[in-house]
Amino acid sequence: MLEAALMGEIPRETTGSFDRVVREREAQMLRTAFRILGNWSDAEDVAQEVFLRLHRHGLNFPHDAAVGAWLYRVTVNLCLDRTRSRRSSQELPEMASPDRSAEAAVLMDEKKQRLMAALAMLPPKERAAVVLRQIEGLSTAEVAAALGSSDVTVRSQISKAMVRLRSILNREDA
Amino acid sequence: MTEQEMREVFREMREEPVPADSLARVRAAVDARTHRRRWVSPWQIAATVLVAAACAVGVVMFRPAVPAPEAPFAGTLVPAAVPESPVQPPVALTPARPKRARPRPRPAEIVPVSIRIETPDPEVVILLVN
Repeated sequence: MLEAALMGEIPRETTGSFDRVVREREAQMLRTAFRILGNWSDAEDVAQEVFLRLHRHGLNFPHDAAVGAWLYRVTVNLCLDRTRSRRSSQELPEMASPDRSAEAAVLMDEKKQRLMAALAMLPPKERAAVVLRQIEGLSTAEVAAALGSSDVTVRSQISKAMVRLRSILNREDA
Repeated sequence: MTEQEMREVFREMREEPVPADSLARVRAAVDARTHRRRWVSPWQIAATVLVAAACAVGVVMFRPAVPAPEAPFAGTLVPAAVPESPVQPPVALTPARPKRARPRPRPAEIVPVSIRIETPDPEVVILLVN
């Protein structure tokens, strides 16, 4: 959908109010920032800054999907700036998954913790690419737009990142 | 962990809820900072005052000309035709414009004038004095 919008296939429509955009997108941006930064405190700061920038920028977007692309781009840039300036220190626990048997939930949570720890070891751009593509479910073109790079670069980054992740996790298993 | 497992965990993470308190903090901070800015800024006030002033000036300068009041009829009314009925309806006379006091002409100073008229007869000359 976002890809189609970026390519101009979705007709121009008016975007809604700022408050509506915040309500619709705040969880997405907060989660994305958390996946890249590794802690909720920094993720909150980034999400706040993203929406304040949106407020300053105004909702002058050709369609709703363009708002999403813009928000992802700003979120990723702010996260990358933060990872450059300082290492994320404290890691807050993730939310437990609902509707799951206790044992399965514990197992899944353990896997998530390991995967998050492995993600934290990736270079920031690769981590951002994996978060957007694999966790947020964006298309390659959308990830490329958010990261400001080409589709080919994004594919390469994701491929390398997956190999690295497998390597890190297998090393832990061994 | 296999790649399949990794993808499964990624999918799980996609559905994961965000902590409510984090979400509330972000929302509160954004609301506080954006709603404060939504108040009318001094620039907006200045712009509004400027527009209002321009409108007022425009109204004053370009208002339509007020038609001049008709000059009151100062002459005497003459009945147009011989009235058939002995009783004539009262004629509404507009009050005559008050006459402006004209400055009285000053009496001209009397200058002695003499006119001399010569006749064909060189012996006769008519002399008019005053």
